[in-house]
Amino acid sequence: MNLATAARRIPSWSLPLVLAVVVALLPVLGVGSSVLRQVVLVCILALLVSGLNLSLGYAGELALGQAAIYAGGAYVSGYLGAHGQTDLLVQLVVACGVALVLGLITGIPGLRLNKWALAMVSFFLVLLVPDILDLFEEETGGRLGLTGIEPVTLFGLPLDREAFAVAVVVVTALWIVVFRNLVTSRHGTAFLVLRESPVLASSTGISVFRMKLSAYAIGALPAGIAGTLFANLDQYLSPESFGFALAVSILAASILGGSASVYGALIGAVILQLGPLQSTEFEQYALIVYGLLLLVCGVLLSSGIAGIVGRLRKKVERRWLPREQAPPYEGELLPDLDGARLSVEGLSKSFGGLHALDGVTLDARPGEVTALIGPNGSGKTTMLNMICGYYRADAGEIRLDDTVSPRAPFQVARAGVARTFQTPSIPSGITVAEAVRAGRYATEHTSFLSAVLRLPAYRRARARDLDEAARVLTLVGLQDLAHEDATSLPLGTRRLLEVARSLISRPRVLLFDEVASGLDEDEVDRLGELIRRLRDAGATIVLVEHNFRLVLALADRIHVLARGSILATGSPAEIENHPDVLREYLGTPVASAAATPGGGRDDD
Amino acid sequence: MSAIWAGLALGAIYGLVALGYNIVFVSSGVFNFAHAQLLMLGTFVAFFGTVTLGLPPWLVFVLAAVVVALVAVIEERTAIRFVRSTEGLLVTTLGFATLLDGATQVIWGGEPLQVPFFGPSEVVSVAGGQVFPVELVLIGAMVLLTIVFVLVSRFSMLGIAMLAVSEDREAALMRGINVRAYAVGAFAVAGAVAGALGPLVGPKTFAVATLGTALALKGFVAMAIGGFGSAPGALIGGLAVGLIEALAGRYLGQSFATLMVFVALLAVLLFKPTGLFGHARERVV
Repeated sequence: MNLATAARRIPSWSLPLVLAVVVALLPVLGVGSSVLRQVVLVCILALLVSGLNLSLGYAGELALGQAAIYAGGAYVSGYLGAHGQTDLLVQLVVACGVALVLGLITGIPGLRLNKWALAMVSFFLVLLVPDILDLFEEETGGRLGLTGIEPVTLFGLPLDREAFAVAVVVVTALWIVVFRNLVTSRHGTAFLVLRESPVLASSTGISVFRMKLSAYAIGALPAGIAGTLFANLDQYLSPESFGFALAVSILAASILGGSASVYGALIGAVILQLGPLQSTEFEQYALIVYGLLLLVCGVLLSSGIAGIVGRLRKKVERRWLPREQAPPYEGELLPDLDGARLSVEGLSKSFGGLHALDGVTLDARPGEVTALIGPNGSGKTTMLNMICGYYRADAGEIRLDDTVSPRAPFQVARAGVARTFQTPSIPSGITVAEAVRAGRYATEHTSFLSAVLRLPAYRRARARDLDEAARVLTLVGLQDLAHEDATSLPLGTRRLLEVARSLISRPRVLLFDEVASGLDEDEVDRLGELIRRLRDAGATIVLVEHNFRLVLALADRIHVLARGSILATGSPAEIENHPDVLREYLGTPVASAAATPGGGRDDD
Repeated sequence: MSAIWAGLALGAIYGLVALGYNIVFVSSGVFNFAHAQLLMLGTFVAFFGTVTLGLPPWLVFVLAAVVVALVAVIEERTAIRFVRSTEGLLVTTLGFATLLDGATQVIWGGEPLQVPFFGPSEVVSVAGGQVFPVELVLIGAMVLLTIVFVLVSRFSMLGIAMLAVSEDREAALMRGINVRAYAVGAFAVAGAVAGALGPLVGPKTFAVATLGTALALKGFVAMAIGGFGSAPGALIGGLAVGLIEALAGRYLGQSFATLMVFVALLAVLLFKPTGLFGHARERVV
């Protein structure tokens, strides 16, 4: 075994684990109470930041209400502590419950509206904290603050300052394990897909609604936990601890450390807690520092410190620890596909006054390539989008075999319709193999809990993810690029990646939207060969394509769309010489059949 | 009735913030979180000009407009120009807003500063309620600016070009519209307007460094109620928010004032997410 392999065998979590053990032992080693206090405060801030990282960094949702949820957790725990319920675990559970509710309430606009609305509503919640505390003055102490919180206990035993600090470090470390297991799992990739584009997410069968709710809920949990810990730190709570400055400092720490990272939350928390938050004479400049941090990091350092470290690590690995070539895929490359008959009947759709589709009827059968051609603006992509469920039909029906196609895009995808996009949609921050595996997220359901605990069910699903990804990557010829950064690929290769992603779910209907454009001649040939093999395996293939030669060579049947309705339908030979088609493409009646539409104005 | 007048005047300020959001939003597709901070800066410059320097009112207006327009252009150059994603813009404009909060606090301190109104300051009685003249001027300014904005955006080449930019940046570029110049121009105009309003807003709200955040959020509620991108919507939405806040504070208690605004925001987002004057878009892919 050489050094490179040995170095790769060391799990990436070893260093953080050692660090956590050392910090947890600090109180035992007898460090001063002011150091302990800083450790606790760093842990609390890291918890808050990691919640934001999940919603902002991974899911791309601007849920910024951490400070308010933190206040909720803190005051509920404080109230319990002041009324005799001093057990840390009980307080944690209740605070998590409160956090979940608050996280979901602020998430409502994010489900229905744009990102700004979510950002503003969650910020608004921070603004409301003092007012709400005032309304419940008897329970919270209002503006004067909540006093009389009794010392915290665990299983009936009192926790002294040192033991409490150990408990805080352990709780934080446990949360980071949960967080890490979640975001490095297939769920983490699904969050990144959602961040890239909700349209892409639903096209792979991910329920955007459910995924967003999960992000708000899970992102709120650590804020609730942090609240409990904070309430028991000084046994005193005041509204001033939960203001706008805190909200901004959480965001600044997240951006500085790197939002789409696990340990970035810790890095950001350490720097902000031990930096600007530390000295009192610095306090009046704190807002300026946060503002500058947000501005500078937002413009120049979009992936934060964790991003820089990650890039360095990749460079080191590339230079000194070359990855061994994966063995070629051994199993059956292309098992039989159970194609479904796709039939569209009398489909109409208008956008304002524009009739994008007007009573279109067509069908696509298993084991055939059905091509959809037509000039720009003739309604081809609208057709695909309607099949996928992105628009609601004004009239008409879409069926898969004999059942009416479901309404929501993610349900259509789960019913077996997979697609590629005209402009390839590739999430940033993941490898080619991960991007392809994302296509299988909904094919095999695993719960968040099984991912967090790495249960056997999750491990089995992951093994199949890996196996299937290797299969489809070999099928499209990208197996050697599996560990490259997905967004670094050139356009043609991105299209092949999308093809692989659409194949991994073993779909019943495949929709390829201009899949050959941007490919070089060699790639087009290979793609044509692949499409033939898919057809022979029994798939139903719908090809929207401008490359007329490719269409003629591949299609079994061709539908020509013009201005929203079907102009002609037939075999390639029929369409090639169809007078209406020639007129549509060339603009004038053509007598000679020698002028093929391929030379027409549709060559863009 | 006095509560209604106070609410309308406050609402006019929220409406002005929403209108500022709209000017920038329509012309460059950016939601400028820091716009309320620009208005806040205007009140500080008004204080500085009137009290510290003792300048005549017209010069205070000019000074505030120029200073704030300059700051807005700096913002466009630093926080906006090189950032494309929504998340990125939220971070950088929020960063700029926080920077202005912090800077004004360091320069002028944390205590509210009273900005004297250049006109009469005796309470007058209108429609059965007591109202300060500056409050009437605020409401008038809001209505006037809304009309100007609507006229410019409907009937001038400038307005139509701005609309084109917000609809499709690249298409606008290809039609020969200098998109960058419009983006800077929109910030400069929005900044100048925000600054010039400082001497009017200051007497009502005082100049205080915590003003920005509250104004930003309530201005956003005004925009959500009125509909994104609609100037009349900003006017109506702003006045509605002001009334809700004033009436809830008067009849339910001061702790309910902001809370009821939040409830109104949630209700609008749930039942009429496009706002009163906004319209939905269907195309997704």
